[in-house]
Amino acid sequence: MAAMTAAVTTPASDETPDKVPGTEKARDKAGRPATGRSFQDLMRHPVKGKLLVLAALAAVLVPLSAVVWGSGPWPGALSVDISGPLDDANTWVIDNRDSHPLFLYFLLHLSNTATDAVSGVYSVLDAMGWTGVFAAGVLFAWRAAGLGRGGVKVAATAFGAFAVCGLLGMWDATLLTIALMVVAVTCAALLGVLIGLAAGLSDRVDRLLRPVLDTMQVLPAFAYLLPFVLVFGTGTPAALFCTVIYAAPPMARLTTLGLRGADPAVLEAVTSLGASPWQRLRTARLPLARKQMLLGLNQTIMMALSMVVIAALVGAGGLGEEVYSALSTVDVGKALAAGIPIVLIAVWLDRTTAAAGDRIGRSTPGGGLLHGRSGWALAGGGVVAAVLLRFVAGTAWPEGWTFAISTPVNKAQVWITENLSSGIPVLGGTETWSEHFTLWVLNPMRDGLTALPWWAVLLLVAALAWLVGTWMTALTATLAMAAIGVLGVWTKSLDTLSQVLAALVVTLVLGVLAGIVCARAGRLERWLRPVLDAMQTMPQFVYLIPVVALFGVARVSAIVAAVVYALPAVVRITAQGLREVDPAALEASRSLGASTRQQLLRVQLPLARPALQLAVNQGVVLVLAVVVVGALVGGGALGYDVVKGLSRGEMGLGMTAGVAIVCLGLVLDRITQPARKRG
Amino acid sequence: MSTPPTPVFSVRDLWKVFGPKAGRVPADPELGALDAAGLRERTGCTAAVRDVSFDVRKGEVFVVMGLSGSGKSTLVRCLTRLIEPTSGAISIDGEDVMSMDAGRLRELRRHRASMVFQHFGLLPHRSVLDNVAYGLEIQGVGRAERRARAAEFVTKVGLEGMESRRPGQLSGGQQQRVGLARALAVDPEVLLFDEPFSALDPLIRRDMQEEVVRLHREEGRTMVFITHDLSEALKIGDRIALMRDGRIVQLGTPEEIVGEPADEYVRDFVRDVPREQVMTVRTAMRPARASEAETGPALAPGATVFEAIEAVARTGETARVIEDGRCLGVVDHAALLGVVAGVPGGKAVAA
Repeated sequence: MAAMTAAVTTPASDETPDKVPGTEKARDKAGRPATGRSFQDLMRHPVKGKLLVLAALAAVLVPLSAVVWGSGPWPGALSVDISGPLDDANTWVIDNRDSHPLFLYFLLHLSNTATDAVSGVYSVLDAMGWTGVFAAGVLFAWRAAGLGRGGVKVAATAFGAFAVCGLLGMWDATLLTIALMVVAVTCAALLGVLIGLAAGLSDRVDRLLRPVLDTMQVLPAFAYLLPFVLVFGTGTPAALFCTVIYAAPPMARLTTLGLRGADPAVLEAVTSLGASPWQRLRTARLPLARKQMLLGLNQTIMMALSMVVIAALVGAGGLGEEVYSALSTVDVGKALAAGIPIVLIAVWLDRTTAAAGDRIGRSTPGGGLLHGRSGWALAGGGVVAAVLLRFVAGTAWPEGWTFAISTPVNKAQVWITENLSSGIPVLGGTETWSEHFTLWVLNPMRDGLTALPWWAVLLLVAALAWLVGTWMTALTATLAMAAIGVLGVWTKSLDTLSQVLAALVVTLVLGVLAGIVCARAGRLERWLRPVLDAMQTMPQFVYLIPVVALFGVARVSAIVAAVVYALPAVVRITAQGLREVDPAALEASRSLGASTRQQLLRVQLPLARPALQLAVNQGVVLVLAVVVVGALVGGGALGYDVVKGLSRGEMGLGMTAGVAIVCLGLVLDRITQPARKRG
Repeated sequence: MSTPPTPVFSVRDLWKVFGPKAGRVPADPELGALDAAGLRERTGCTAAVRDVSFDVRKGEVFVVMGLSGSGKSTLVRCLTRLIEPTSGAISIDGEDVMSMDAGRLRELRRHRASMVFQHFGLLPHRSVLDNVAYGLEIQGVGRAERRARAAEFVTKVGLEGMESRRPGQLSGGQQQRVGLARALAVDPEVLLFDEPFSALDPLIRRDMQEEVVRLHREEGRTMVFITHDLSEALKIGDRIALMRDGRIVQLGTPEEIVGEPADEYVRDFVRDVPREQVMTVRTAMRPARASEAETGPALAPGATVFEAIEAVARTGETARVIEDGRCLGVVDHAALLGVVAGVPGGKAVAA
């Protein structure tokens, strides 16, 4: 979903053109000191050189560590229990919430404003009546997407989405989710634009913020929940603030990217005409960044939606709440009834903003009644008319116009459990597969990881991180891994890690194969693309619903959900990477008589290596995000601690697990992140 | 010649050095004498403009010409401090540019010198009309007035009817016309051109060159024109500064550059130039003997040798060079052939 699209666009930020016109000569500054030949040879094969050093280090460190620390999991003496102090802090917050000045004069105001804003938007939506909201959604989509055939298509999507939300009996929950979204997206977009402006205009701010934003983007949504609950307690404010913090980074990043990526020739021309810095920003830099900023808004909206539904765990009402409560009683029918509207809202918002983004740059010559302000006025008039219609049609969605799908769905689920889960000749059944996978893959992996001496895991992480990156990468990764041990959740984290690795292997094998097929068969790709697009826009939460129906509550469910969630991104990045291979290189190899296989193995895959590395990195990040959310369907381990901490108010437990998730995310991201080129 | 009026631009000892601690290079004569590779090795710096001095006279087309990397684009940007010079003096109409603060510099860019770029630098989200009006908008001119004035210049560069198009819908040549109109619309004292036609097709380039020559004839505006194309330089330049490695190796009229190259580099550069189209009869003529001053076709001293050849071939007589009714000299077959061949044959005969 949005997180991937964000990361896919990331590499572009590394090629920020820093061209100063007229300095052709200044650019090729060499000034490298002459170094010894052997060192240069080593540098020419950086990986080989590093492997050599690693082998030497391992020969020394492994026996040494084995003698000093022996084997086994993280030693208790080296861990610090932070759950006690965290629980104390939580108690302190609860005790002082009504008396301490920090709350009285600052946090309470924030929290009240948040609650008021959301309920305000909700009552406005409610007062508009269902006809008003319906018309507003459809006309907004139509106007924003342009008034051609494209606009009509987007408007039709909006119409279908709203109609289904109402028909499924979820109108009220949908309204609440939309109200939360309106407030959260407004705040996140404003915050993002402000941060983006600062980072776009100041190099120093950019240098400071970039690693922070990079890291924020790889952290699973789950990890954001707890700190806000600690301060604000469960309820709308906590849900709103963690959504804003989670969703702001893409807006900030893309605003920065847009401002920095502006054509230097245009900026120079503008300066040459004597524009002041403010005029330059207003008339050139901001308009030139519009497309990127709209893309940022699109991603921010998608991330906010995914968070708003997960935030059901910390007391956000609406559709997420419905899914959460249904999942906790394994009521698949009810969960699906709430899940479908989430997907439809995602599709509606994504299509609308994406279409609006596409429109930029394409010119709209001519005026006419349906263009510019008159078009908006017309849409506004339509909404007003529809609002007035509420006096006829009532404000609530008509009672009779609903269709309960939960009973038939539950019947279907019972049928699936009875007929597909086990006992199918030859094939087995979903439950049988799940058992086998657990028995033959998951358990050995988990046991193997936990059986490794702790120092061996640390050394392994350090070695991997150093191989793909610099010594700084290795240091960050090792420290993060050590932090997990210090927190005292070593075994649980390795359990989560084993699930992530299992899911990752499956995702990569399937994803890269599918990517290769897609890149080679254009027709298949055209057919698959809308499916992948739709899958990428869906919040993580909804993937849990169908897997519970098929696999029951088990670790495998979480893994399947993770695979399904991460697959589209991997397929897409792989296919794109293969297709963007220099056609001249491919043509040359064909002219030399290379077979299809040779072309693929010798030319395409090696040239697409950066894309494949990115696919691995994205796969890891996305898989981790869902594996921890998978705690809701039996994933266990770290994610389960977070859920337990939230539902029983055990802050210490939950926070510890949350920090461990963050650390695990950092480790996984660092050891898969392709080394950045420094220019 | 009488004392010339104050030059529009006067540049003295200008240096632009890129790299760490750039200021020490112009200050130290030893460093300044190093060649590009040596300088880079010693200091890590690159000198794009080295110790350049010249004047741009009012109403002339001053061409700076050189190959890519010779520092010409940097030089023209130094004139309005789009690139901050490392050292040296620049003045416009006798006013010191280097000491201007940000506000006065903006005034200079808004009203006195405007620039046309190789890659146009148009705002893609604005219509042609609004692009042309952009300079006026920056100056704070009201919407109605600036659009009316912009429309005038859109017509002047031959783009009427395309006012509401976006730059993306125009061809390269049309985009550069918009760039030209944008620069003209602010009615600047000097127009600066930075390789404006390099990105255009040959035919369109010729059209645009003629357009610039026409504009200069009609308005007599001072122009500084950067190019790497020798024929373009010879075609539109009143005077040409030929740059190499950041230095001006020769400064003179097209005729001086072609006729008396300052060194081997310049000689090499101009070898393929059709000399008969650049050299004038003023340099090719010799004093008239006997009755030669009375008969034969008459030519102005600024006429090219090419025109003289035609006249001489048509009549079979020596041609007279006449200025203000007075015969300055004559050109005959031998003198004209000498020019074409590149040997000072005509003069040898005369002497």
